[in-house]
Amino acid sequence: MSKQKILMIICVVVFLLGIAGSILVLLTPHGTQVNIVQDGIVLYTIDLTTAQDQTLEIEYKGRTNIVQIENGRIRMLEAECPDQTCVHMGWLDSGAMPIVCLPNHLSIEYAGSGDNIDAVIR
Amino acid sequence: MNVRKMTQLAMLTGVALIIFVIELQIPNPFPIPGIKLGLANIITVYAVYRFQAGEVMMIVFCRIFLAAVFSGNMMALAYSFAGSVLCLAGMLLLRKIIDKKHIWIASVFGAILHNIGQISIAALVMGTGILVYLPFLLLSGCLAGAFTGGCAQLIIRRLKETMRYDES
Repeated sequence: MSKQKILMIICVVVFLLGIAGSILVLLTPHGTQVNIVQDGIVLYTIDLTTAQDQTLEIEYKGRTNIVQIENGRIRMLEAECPDQTCVHMGWLDSGAMPIVCLPNHLSIEYAGSGDNIDAVIR
Repeated sequence: MNVRKMTQLAMLTGVALIIFVIELQIPNPFPIPGIKLGLANIITVYAVYRFQAGEVMMIVFCRIFLAAVFSGNMMALAYSFAGSVLCLAGMLLLRKIIDKKHIWIASVFGAILHNIGQISIAALVMGTGILVYLPFLLLSGCLAGAFTGGCAQLIIRRLKETMRYDES
């Protein structure tokens, strides 16, 4: 078997791993506790079932992110950054996949997802 | 380095930048940090197969720096720089193994390495929680890499006749 064949097979394997991993992440169940984390530090812990509708402003080096909580859901409403990826991600719904604003080092994630790993590092 | 070579490199950098700016205007249907088509990497892959290692690096590093300036997203520079270093290292090694008929394989590896580089920096900055994005990045890397690699392969085949003179 030529080296090229082997490399092609590696491509296919990575692709399949990507599909499998994505499905796993999307299907991860979530609790009700949400952490808002900046630079690895938990700023807020919110229970979405009891939280009132509100908006939170979080500042990072002069730039502001606005987090909105409404009807037990949470999302990034506004972000002062060039790419706006986190705003476009919409409401947080996967248990494993956080909403991330890379430029402002901010993420919104369900508590309890992967906490065993994170607890050590934080 | 002669003037002809320098002009070619500058032109390719310019083309890559134009592609980058146009791609910025296309809304991204997958709003996940780090996921994009990366059309400007058509030029990267093309350059890897036509120029020497140093020349490719000049094109790519100039492009990512100027791209960060143009998009006003200087914060993204660290991510794209780390990604590009890994991606270039991988593709420059792979071009010895992979011939010009299978460039897309090298490109897929480049894209995957680029995404791994990006997410490593992100994990350093944001904590390891962000690593759950890795499967999505691998998936998009495979697709985007195969597409840009395919484009580069087409370009190299079509330009082979017309650009033969610069081999001298």
